[in-house]
Amino acid sequence: MQAIKRKKQKETIIESFFLICAFVAVISVLAITVFVFYNGIKPFVSNSYPLWDFLTGVEWRPGSNMYGIFYMIVGSIFATLGAILIGVPVAILTAVYISEMAGSRVGKMIRFAVELLAGIPSVLYGVFGLGIIVPYVLKISPMAQGESLLATILVLAIMILPTVVSISETSISAVPKEYREGSYALGASKIQTIFKVVLPAARSGIMTGVILGIGRAIGETMAVMLVCGNPIAGIPTSLFDQIRPLTTNIALEMGYASGVHQELLYSTGVVLFIFIMIINLAVNKLVKAKVGS
Amino acid sequence: MDANIKFNTKNLDLFYGDFQALKAINMEIREKEVTAFIGPSGCGKSTFLRCLNRMNDLIDSVKINGEILFDGQDINGTIDVINLRTRVGMVFQKPNPFPMSIYENIAYGPKCQGMKDKNQLDTLVKESLVKAALWEEVKDRLNKSALGLSGGQQQRLCIARTIAMNPEVILMDEPTSALDPIATAKIEDLMSSLKKDYTIIIVTHSMQQAGRISDKTAFFLMGEVIEFNETPIIFTNPHDKRTEDYITGRFG
Amino acid sequence: MGRKAKDILVKGVIYLATGITLSVLLFIVGFIFVKGIGLVNWDFLTRDYNEKVVYAFIESNDVPLNIDKQSLNEKNPYDKRYETHLEGPIYVENIGAAIAKVSYKNHSTEREQFVITYIEKDSPLRSAIDSTGKEITIGTDYIVQSINGNDFAELTLAEVAATIADESGELKVKIVQPGGGIKSNIITTLYMVLLSLIVALPLGIFGAIYLTEYAKPGRLVNMIRFAAECLAGIPSIIFGLFGMAFFVVVLKFQISLISGSLTVAIILLPVIIRSTEEALKTVPMAFREGSLALGATKLQTIFKVVLPCAVPGIATAVLLSIGRVVGESAALLLTAGTVAQIPGTLFSPGSTLTVQAYYVAKEEGNIELACAIGIVIIVIVIVLNILSRITSDKLDVFNKK
Repeated sequence: MQAIKRKKQKETIIESFFLICAFVAVISVLAITVFVFYNGIKPFVSNSYPLWDFLTGVEWRPGSNMYGIFYMIVGSIFATLGAILIGVPVAILTAVYISEMAGSRVGKMIRFAVELLAGIPSVLYGVFGLGIIVPYVLKISPMAQGESLLATILVLAIMILPTVVSISETSISAVPKEYREGSYALGASKIQTIFKVVLPAARSGIMTGVILGIGRAIGETMAVMLVCGNPIAGIPTSLFDQIRPLTTNIALEMGYASGVHQELLYSTGVVLFIFIMIINLAVNKLVKAKVGS
Repeated sequence: MDANIKFNTKNLDLFYGDFQALKAINMEIREKEVTAFIGPSGCGKSTFLRCLNRMNDLIDSVKINGEILFDGQDINGTIDVINLRTRVGMVFQKPNPFPMSIYENIAYGPKCQGMKDKNQLDTLVKESLVKAALWEEVKDRLNKSALGLSGGQQQRLCIARTIAMNPEVILMDEPTSALDPIATAKIEDLMSSLKKDYTIIIVTHSMQQAGRISDKTAFFLMGEVIEFNETPIIFTNPHDKRTEDYITGRFG
Repeated sequence: MGRKAKDILVKGVIYLATGITLSVLLFIVGFIFVKGIGLVNWDFLTRDYNEKVVYAFIESNDVPLNIDKQSLNEKNPYDKRYETHLEGPIYVENIGAAIAKVSYKNHSTEREQFVITYIEKDSPLRSAIDSTGKEITIGTDYIVQSINGNDFAELTLAEVAATIADESGELKVKIVQPGGGIKSNIITTLYMVLLSLIVALPLGIFGAIYLTEYAKPGRLVNMIRFAAECLAGIPSIIFGLFGMAFFVVVLKFQISLISGSLTVAIILLPVIIRSTEEALKTVPMAFREGSLALGATKLQTIFKVVLPCAVPGIATAVLLSIGRVVGESAALLLTAGTVAQIPGTLFSPGSTLTVQAYYVAKEEGNIELACAIGIVIIVIVIVLNILSRITSDKLDVFNKK
């Protein structure tokens, strides 16, 4: 009896240990939120910098105590929108080709290529952008440099391709064969079937892919840092203007910043964090809605 | 109390969430007999079988009322579930050998109970395989993967694996439903020879099988035991109209 | 427009899109290989990034030249991409080595220097020691800058040879080990992979075991899953911010290997949890039932039956994680730094391959070098990709049965 009791105790202890391991994920999210928010809200609570100026300012000059991130928010949003506008159609059509039109061998090959594209570290996209895209943009640009909103959009559009392709492709492949057969039986062509039946049926999965793509674009740092120009002021008004997204602001200056300057970099992180959280919640909702239906 | 009674259930109710799958089951199962449960799909016979070694613990939404006495002890009470399962073994519908060697499959249970001695294990593996009438077929490839055996051999391996624990009761959940007629015949022979050492409770879809091998038969319908009696009586002279309808194939 | 024409048009657009996706990949990989391949060689992989100045102490000892003059001229180990031959080589007997004058030019500097082109078998250079008495290796591409305090700058090759030949007894030679290599980054990357896996792998695997084998559906599990999803969605720069605030500042780990690897370990958690969970789910329920029915405890069932079946899935998780660490940059930039050195302790900084690629592209504008590092990274990524394909194929075995 004693032995059984000991065995049971051991099992309970180990189960709790497993639970603690699983709980590390929760603790991490909480810790990340708390630390970033704590540091990021500090300057506004202690009145060392006004929140309004921070959110609406269009100049970031740590030397003269000016920390406005409005132009960065605009830059981030423009870059993300542009990337989505270009990347998403290409990605969805590629997904359509893989799952509806390609033979199984060709499809496999393209899938492998897409996976490879996903595995290339973002820095290398940046290096590619700096080596190829920036010089080409410079050729057509009225500005003196090629680092620009346009270059950023192009690099980001490439970077979201694998995410959107693979998620769309999965959800397109998951559309039941009966739908397609039903459509063919009514005399629809392959293309009509794809666009009128298959894609609408895979809509929520594709949307999830797009939103994850948005998340990737808005959170991307290193690739963007190499091609965006990182100006210290100015809302972008043309594709050839330089931009300074929220992410690069943090990465550029965190290494040497101190005091209010450092805290306001955390505040920049908080703004970014809020954007990402909204995106995460949207994904969560979409996935749940899909399960529900 | 009758010393020969192995299992005794009293007013056993079982719920899956809100759905009641077993209704007030009262049954006495005797030692060293073969008891067969028959009835249409979803009648609760497998569910009842899985109560007897508490395999239903694995399903979260299950709730049980009433008592199941095993040698007079309530199995949902203070008894240790691991201990219970070593005494009440189980063979499943689909053969489920582990992806290990034949030898390791048999030695798995004893090892889990702490048996380490190599000689002891070797003897036990051989004995179990002999009892399960599988020894001659596999003695030269004990270290090969069990997944390479045929379906019938796999099922006999699973029986051997259960025998290795030296249980008092062996529960069999439609053990031949995934097998061809020849493999089925072998397993039925095996059951008759195991009867003298073990109490066997078997769920089966095949009435012929129940007729061939069992001493007692219980007919389940919609979560209730309609009739429980000597097998010849059930098949030749059922007392309940519904049993008769089922036996004669009017539904099922 | 007729239906047929429309269909053909749309088909064309689909082909075009797929073509764009594929050509983008080919273009990127092609660009990196074409641009960087010229720099990739054995020296590139085995040298440090920074040049290192050492003072070598040697006992001068006249060693005659054992090979003929002609073949001496053919031995020119200097780096042809950065160095152009100016004069020499001249063989100097008392150090048993030949020296040539070359001009060195890279994207940022231009200078003239004297490099060793040949070292005789019995040369005293082969038994050089440093000021602490430790043996040091001197290779045929090393630069000599002064001897016994006589600086070589502004001298001609003949003058240098004469200066060296004039000295005798114990010589103190200022030598520069050439840099430009990525050895330290490769080693830092390895350290980073190992350390972060040591932390994240057990946490992730045990966490996944809890979620699939123990957890009953409810708020707790939903919370854990939601947290894991959140972690997967947070951009790495935010992890960097957290790592900086917590590991670097609060725990006072400094910008270091340990801060970097702990930060990356958190990034890996959702990757490992998810793939382990998926692997555990492919293990048929029948195995668990069979084991439990034999009187095995839950723990015995998990460790003896379920986990062994899930090994290919866990291997896939490990491979994915390695890919993640190799590719990670923003978080490491803030927590492990950009110093191209082999971290001496857990608390020293070091830059991984990817961070180094960023650093040379951004701070030095050296796209060629960034691409050369990129080649190494892409090769690693491809190998990991192929391996994970193999392991995940192994996992499907039970379901095909």
